[in-house]
Amino acid sequence: MRSASRQSDGVQARFNDGLTTAAHAVEIVLAADAIHFTHEGEAQNWPLDAVEVEPLGPTVRLGHPGDAARLVVSAEVWREICSARPAIEQRRRRRASALVGGLTAIAALAAGLIFVGVPLAAGPLARATPPELEAQIGGNLEAQIGLALPTCTGAAGQAALSKFGQRLQQDPHATFRLRVRAVDAPMVNAFALPGGAILVTGDLIRMAETPDELSSVIAHEAAHVELRHVMQGVWRSFGFGVVLDALVGGGTGAGQQAVLLFGSFTSLRYTRQAEVEADRRGQALLQAQGYSSQGMASFFERLAAKHEGADARMVKELISSHPDTLRRARASRAHGRPGLPAFSVADWAAIKAVCKIPPKKGFLAHFPR
Amino acid sequence: MSEPAAVQMDGVPVRLEQRAVLKSFLGLSLKNGLLNLVTLTLYRFWGKTEVRRRLWSSIHLNDEPFEYTGRGKELFLGFLFALGAIGLPFLVVVFGAQFLAPAFAGLILLPFYIFLSFLMGYGRFTAFRYIASRSSWRGVRFQLTGSPAKYGWSYLGYVWLSVVSLGWFWPAANRRLAGPLWDGLRFGDRPFRYRIDDARKEHVYGAFALGWVGAMAAYFVLIAVMMSILIPAMRDAAGNTVEPSLKVFGQIYAATGALALVYTVIFSPYQAAMLRSIAAGIGFAEVRFRMRVKWYDMAWMTLSNLALLTTSLGFLMPFVEARVSKFLFDRLETTGTADLDSVRQAAGSSPRTGEGLADAFGVSPI
Repeated sequence: MRSASRQSDGVQARFNDGLTTAAHAVEIVLAADAIHFTHEGEAQNWPLDAVEVEPLGPTVRLGHPGDAARLVVSAEVWREICSARPAIEQRRRRRASALVGGLTAIAALAAGLIFVGVPLAAGPLARATPPELEAQIGGNLEAQIGLALPTCTGAAGQAALSKFGQRLQQDPHATFRLRVRAVDAPMVNAFALPGGAILVTGDLIRMAETPDELSSVIAHEAAHVELRHVMQGVWRSFGFGVVLDALVGGGTGAGQQAVLLFGSFTSLRYTRQAEVEADRRGQALLQAQGYSSQGMASFFERLAAKHEGADARMVKELISSHPDTLRRARASRAHGRPGLPAFSVADWAAIKAVCKIPPKKGFLAHFPR
Repeated sequence: MSEPAAVQMDGVPVRLEQRAVLKSFLGLSLKNGLLNLVTLTLYRFWGKTEVRRRLWSSIHLNDEPFEYTGRGKELFLGFLFALGAIGLPFLVVVFGAQFLAPAFAGLILLPFYIFLSFLMGYGRFTAFRYIASRSSWRGVRFQLTGSPAKYGWSYLGYVWLSVVSLGWFWPAANRRLAGPLWDGLRFGDRPFRYRIDDARKEHVYGAFALGWVGAMAAYFVLIAVMMSILIPAMRDAAGNTVEPSLKVFGQIYAATGALALVYTVIFSPYQAAMLRSIAAGIGFAEVRFRMRVKWYDMAWMTLSNLALLTTSLGFLMPFVEARVSKFLFDRLETTGTADLDSVRQAAGSSPRTGEGLADAFGVSPI
């Protein structure tokens, strides 16, 4: 028998008792709230409220919670039953809506926590992080970076950079002591590490045309240290990366990558805000010591000139941890003030020569220059 | 589509076929994708369950459909369990070792990463066990017997043997790892069996050698291409370092994407041979299985699925899973007989949660 058919006051159906694969013909009787039938002399009552329904084309498979037994009736008959008892379909829809509604509410809470709560909490959490722990993390990072980016060999240049770091930091109660040094790396960059270490690459020093430009870059990194931006980043990464990744499961299914991408873009937005904050604070640090803060604008302008056109810059900014360089240059020009040069003529000459003889060790030293 | 398998069973012809209407999975793909977005992907457990339910009910044995009885809630609980039992301790160890004990990081992390191989095997076995326990035909459940821990240790050993043999042990490992999964499988009170000697009759090492050598060659070509793009792009005419342009990044991504496509094609003969080999080892009562899959079918299926998933940003995953299921069942042949009318429900408890651990490692079967 393939499907059920109506017979007098009952409906023919096929029954699998959940004990064996044998199929049994049964006659089911539909009451207002249950399906009744008899199998091997034993009366069976399946409340319609609890019946689970699986459409199978011409037939429908009915299940009973906690029971492997199954009834198969014709789809046509089941449609008639449902049309006479709209509560069955209403119940199914109610359950689906409750599931989606409940999950959406949980998702909204989680999104609020991750996308709003974590960034808001990142600042206070960074300030609450014990300085010793941050210094230890920074020390470990510095040791790891040292494997790839060796310290430049010019002793006089390194001393001048170090001295400038100390001058920049006049506050005796500062959480971290600034330690500025030049490293050999085939890239124009500078890094602030947790705990006060500031690394400036040899290529950046070569690119800087005046002491004001280099001092602006170092002051920008000093601001990152003072504002504990790196620790804020660690806490934000924890929220956007670890918590969101754990929630999403890190898979490749529909929506998973979209949600992770959204998390990355949001994280980058906060990183760009931190860069703007460090630009302003860096200029303020220079001005407080009487140094010129006008070098930042000219440095950014030349950096921007090396890159793409406006459209490419816009795309790049969206996927970048830093704001558009030309926009930063304009803002820095507006906030820049004249002042003394940060380095004497002799110090500047020593700094320009600090990476002249590249160190032999270092992974990146093997890349073509 | 090839003719479905026809088996004589006490004089009654039995057919095994996948009758899924692929078009119907497009709507399901859209529904699951949108609900995933709205719920920050939390709906995925219920979406996956719905896909399995539809797939199982479209696989027919002797004109009667299979049934999937798993629940989204079970998968969700499995995920939470894996998160608490594996995810959090993993995070603590990795962060702790990197930041607080860098001197001992290697000592702490190496055994930990080795142990991950064990967990992957453990997760794979428990995922199969869960799916088997939620699969039934005529109300009688499947069941996977055996020890997930034993499977996990085997998996760990085979993975590391494969690493030290530069991958050459992996085909043998795949055949061996299929053993506990198929030999431990029961339909009610009737056992499946897996004979590795029958599996070995289908050769796989020629196809693997082709893939291995081809993949190595393609990898070195990619490195050469990337260096030829990157090195000139990082220096201007005056010899200063410059940031590579967006165009250069695009070229790098295009080259990497091309390598992924080459890998897919190069390894298709091996993937097809492995499917044939494992199917040849499986038996149930007097029924034997044979997978008639050619390398070019496999290459086309994988490439077209890759295209569907990338262009739809993963939205078409349910549609792709239905395509794969149909692809496999259309090529599955059976010979021999089995008495399927008197199979009894087996005693024994079923797992209460889904395959969270397998999901975490991406080794969940569907």
